[in-house]
Amino acid sequence: MLRATLKGMAARKARLILTSIAVVLGSAFIAAALVLTASIQATVDDLNGDAYAGADVIVQPVEPENRGDRLVRDGVSAETLAAIEANDDVASVSTTVTWMVNALGDDGKIVGGFAPTMAVNWGDESVERELREGRGPETAGEVAVSARFVTESGLGLGDTVEAYSLATDQTAYEIVGVFGYSGDRDSLSGATELAFTTAEAQRLVFDGEDVYTTVAVTGADGVSGDELLAALEPAVGDEAEALTWQAYVDDLNAETAEATSLIGYFLLGFGLIAVFVSVFLIANTFSIVIAGRLKEIAMMRAVGASRGQIIRSVLAEAGLLGAVASVVGAGLGVAAGAGLTSLVGNSFLDTASTSVAVPAAAPVAAVAVGLVVTVLSALLPAVRASKTPPVEAMREAVKADKPITGVTVTGLLVTLVGATGIVLGLTETFDGDKANLAAAAVGAGIVFVGVALLTAWLSKPVVALLGAVWSWSFAGRLGRLNASRNPRRTAVTAAALMIGVTLVTATATLLTSVKASLAEQFESSIKAELFITGPVTSSVPATFDPALMDDIRDADGVAAAVELYYDLAQVDGTEQYVNATTDLAGGIELFGGEVLQGTVADLEEGQTVVNEWSANELGIGVGDTVTMTFSRGSEAHEFTITGILADNEDTDGWYVDPSYAAEFYTPKPTTALVDVADGADVDEVTAEVESILADEPAVSVQNHEEYLAQVTVFFDYAVIAIQLLLALAMIVAVIGVVNTLVLSVLERTRELGMLRAIGMTRGQTTRMVTVESVTIALFGALLGIGTGLLLGWIVQQALVPSGIEEFAVPTALIAAYLGAAVLVGLLAAIAPAVRASKVDILGAISYE
Amino acid sequence: MPLANPPAPQLTRTRAAVDATNLLRAYGSGEAQVVALRNVSVQFASGAFTAIMGPSGSGKSTLMHCLAGLDTVDRGSVRIGDTEITGLNDKALTRLRRDKIGFIFQQFNLLPTLTAEENILLPASIAGAKADPAWIGRVIATLDLADRLTHKPTELSGGQQQRVACARALATRPEVVFADEPTGNLDTRSSGEVLRFLRRSVDDFGQTIVMVTHDPSAAAHADRVVFLADGQIVEDLHRPTADSVIDTMRGFENRVPLAGEGR
Ligand SMILES: Nc1ncnc2c1ncn2[C@@H]1O[C@H](COP(=O)(O)OP(=O)(O)OP(=O)(O)O)[C@@H](O)[C@H]1O
Ligand SMILES: [Mg+2]
Repeated sequence: MLRATLKGMAARKARLILTSIAVVLGSAFIAAALVLTASIQATVDDLNGDAYAGADVIVQPVEPENRGDRLVRDGVSAETLAAIEANDDVASVSTTVTWMVNALGDDGKIVGGFAPTMAVNWGDESVERELREGRGPETAGEVAVSARFVTESGLGLGDTVEAYSLATDQTAYEIVGVFGYSGDRDSLSGATELAFTTAEAQRLVFDGEDVYTTVAVTGADGVSGDELLAALEPAVGDEAEALTWQAYVDDLNAETAEATSLIGYFLLGFGLIAVFVSVFLIANTFSIVIAGRLKEIAMMRAVGASRGQIIRSVLAEAGLLGAVASVVGAGLGVAAGAGLTSLVGNSFLDTASTSVAVPAAAPVAAVAVGLVVTVLSALLPAVRASKTPPVEAMREAVKADKPITGVTVTGLLVTLVGATGIVLGLTETFDGDKANLAAAAVGAGIVFVGVALLTAWLSKPVVALLGAVWSWSFAGRLGRLNASRNPRRTAVTAAALMIGVTLVTATATLLTSVKASLAEQFESSIKAELFITGPVTSSVPATFDPALMDDIRDADGVAAAVELYYDLAQVDGTEQYVNATTDLAGGIELFGGEVLQGTVADLEEGQTVVNEWSANELGIGVGDTVTMTFSRGSEAHEFTITGILADNEDTDGWYVDPSYAAEFYTPKPTTALVDVADGADVDEVTAEVESILADEPAVSVQNHEEYLAQVTVFFDYAVIAIQLLLALAMIVAVIGVVNTLVLSVLERTRELGMLRAIGMTRGQTTRMVTVESVTIALFGALLGIGTGLLLGWIVQQALVPSGIEEFAVPTALIAAYLGAAVLVGLLAAIAPAVRASKVDILGAISYE
Repeated sequence: MPLANPPAPQLTRTRAAVDATNLLRAYGSGEAQVVALRNVSVQFASGAFTAIMGPSGSGKSTLMHCLAGLDTVDRGSVRIGDTEITGLNDKALTRLRRDKIGFIFQQFNLLPTLTAEENILLPASIAGAKADPAWIGRVIATLDLADRLTHKPTELSGGQQQRVACARALATRPEVVFADEPTGNLDTRSSGEVLRFLRRSVDDFGQTIVMVTHDPSAAAHADRVVFLADGQIVEDLHRPTADSVIDTMRGFENRVPLAGEGR
């Protein structure tokens, strides 16, 4: 039997190659994801290992949990430092003072986007900095900058750079030096650095306190890390924590491992989606190939081959194909993973060298998945083939399609099971987020299988409807008829395409709905026309000078303007959002809030206002007192509640007088609302306010649309990223369309020959195949869009309690996908159509 | 019985629908070369029903394919009606087949996705033309297909399928209908129906038909039988009967041993 299998495979090379491309791609993606993840981890580990190289013990402040989003830093005090230095086992000590700052480039805009800008003390020895030009800073007004900062800011040696932190006002510094890092690197993982004198760094990071971010200690000769640690414990005390250098690096590695493994799972997930799609393709190919060989199989059965032998021969073919393809895929994947690592290493991490790690799991998983998927996909067609009755060998007539009622009922049941899984997962029926996520994901997978089964039933009406478009052309009509003549085949092909489109549509629908809900809340509640805020990507919250508010209020066409300060404070021992504003009543009005009890006007020191839900949570009401400790404050203040606000997302939280803002982690306002007077020109007012804020580069003036667009910009990135990651699944699906068409054309050679003989032109033949292709592609896209909208709607409904009340359809994306489907159909038709139009008429019509 | 009757006077006066002169067709080259047609010259009169007979591998199908513009000749010329087809490009040949020629194959004549009626109208549909409804109605009536028009080919018997194929071949009133063993897959009764129809279409509609067959009783329906052996015309029999055909076959089988079995 094996010999017959091999001979059969050799005779069907083209088909096998197309099919194996799907397996190769899936396996390769899995291997690449695993290699990339492991290699990035190895590369980052190497980088982490460079930190404080040579030090034995690292001393860090004890971080209180969640203080002001960790923007307010604690440090190791000068006393502790002195005690460490005084210890006899200590040979040398180096100190680091560092945190994020904002610096302005030559265009007056804040430097950097996603990678942060860091302030650091020049004496820091955590990494090796190599001066390239000039010298280190010697006075408070001087700064040395990293080479990456030079390229990103457009500034250079001798220029003046404006920088500020949350604690400081904008200050001008002279650039006296430019440095790089060991290995001739321009940056550390893409971040830019500004190196100041230690005192200036402390002013920026710690508001001038004489404390340090990290103290790295090297022990005297003969003193081990553990001994030094034990010796230093008493000196460090409760204020800080000491740990050996190795433990410090291990902590760093564990922290980055969490991030890299998350990326790894993400990539792997998309790899598995591509593999899932290839299941459809492989199963379809085997079904079609077997359908074309029914006579041969029946003949073998007639001469005595058992059902088991038939199944085994098909599975042997699948196994061989799967083995070869997945080994090739694993090889390609490992190579791609290594290549991607150096790409990522060079462009994002800015490392001089990358380490490529190939975990054994990468090739093993890739080959295993490829092999198992191929064999499993072929199982159903194999079993069906084995059921061929021997009399089939003698039968002549074209067989009518088997009824699809059974498939349809199964499909309906499977879809329901999957939908139940999704709903259970979304409503968090199971224990733990992972279980719920898994239930939803597996449910979605099952829904795909169910819908794929239902597609056979759907294909008739939908394809007929699509076909109406081509009815003007006879060749088009024949193409449409061909697309619906084998519903299962069309269905499986379209279903493969559907999966990718569904996922994109569902994501986009959900995100569009979130956007629409936000916009709706905005329009219905917020009365102000303009917002003053900073970019969402800014590493330090954007703030501006509160004194400018008076100018804005006085500007022509401004009816009201309210600024907001913001803090995450301890209120009666619980963590709460606290806001401050000079005009609370005006702010509540502009935000569309409502006062339930008491008064909000003329909030004085020692008075506070809170929303109903938060008050109930603490079990307090008007007249009661609470204590608050702010991010930068050391002492607790007592407040009396004077008013209660109705619950409203835009106004929830606590409100106090701005005199406390000095203790907030952003002592300056982060946001302001401007109400444009009725009849005033919004554009003119915008320009006016912009000119008032000309010296505040961190913030800009935005109208509702601009503000929403900025807040939701990540959604757009998310859709793009998901589309990119799904590209592979889509490619596999397109290969599926090509494969199905090529096989169908082969199967219909006789028919094509007859048509050509009685006068069908090459052009008409091409058109016929193209219409079939475009119809299948459009059908897949429509299914995907339909299923995606449905999934998106289900998730949106589940999120209504969380405020996602609007259901919105991403029309532009859907239109783009329909256009893309037509394009894909056209492209996929090229090879099969050429083949069909070149059919050898004589060969086709002469009978064996 | 004379081996070659003189041509019947009324047939000589009619213009030839198909005229082939000195056709040479060889497959392969060198040692393995098979000459399928050796200098064949033959005319098929308009409004006549001609059968082509001969042993397997004698070149019957090759001759028909060359006459119909499906295959190209190495030498010689073929004229269909007023059109010289040797040297025409694929596009022109396709048009010629569509407009001037009807085909009936042994099997796989019909598109399974179309109904019987749509199959009959297939050539017209391909041409984007409107078939003459009166003519189509007459053809359908003659073939007794009126109550089968909405059926798909899979729902028709083999004989019915061939009748649909005949109707399709006639639907465009072609210059000539070529039929390659149209009854080869049918039982006696069904072949009788098909052959009687072909006969009627010649008598009633003045259709020209060239039919390849192995069956002497099928050939007996024709006005004339041309015998091929080893790529050459060896006999030309007019007004055949089943017996005269069998006699003729015996005659040249004795003379020419079954050479040229190329398959
Ligand atoms: N494409 C081809 N390549 C090579 N040889 C061919 C080809 N087509 C036909 N022949 C050869 O040409 C000769 C004539 O073949 P043809 O098909 O015309 O015979 P036929 O009379 O129709 O036979 P049958 O009654 O079996 O259908 C045969 O010897 C055949 O082997
Ligand atoms: Mg033949």
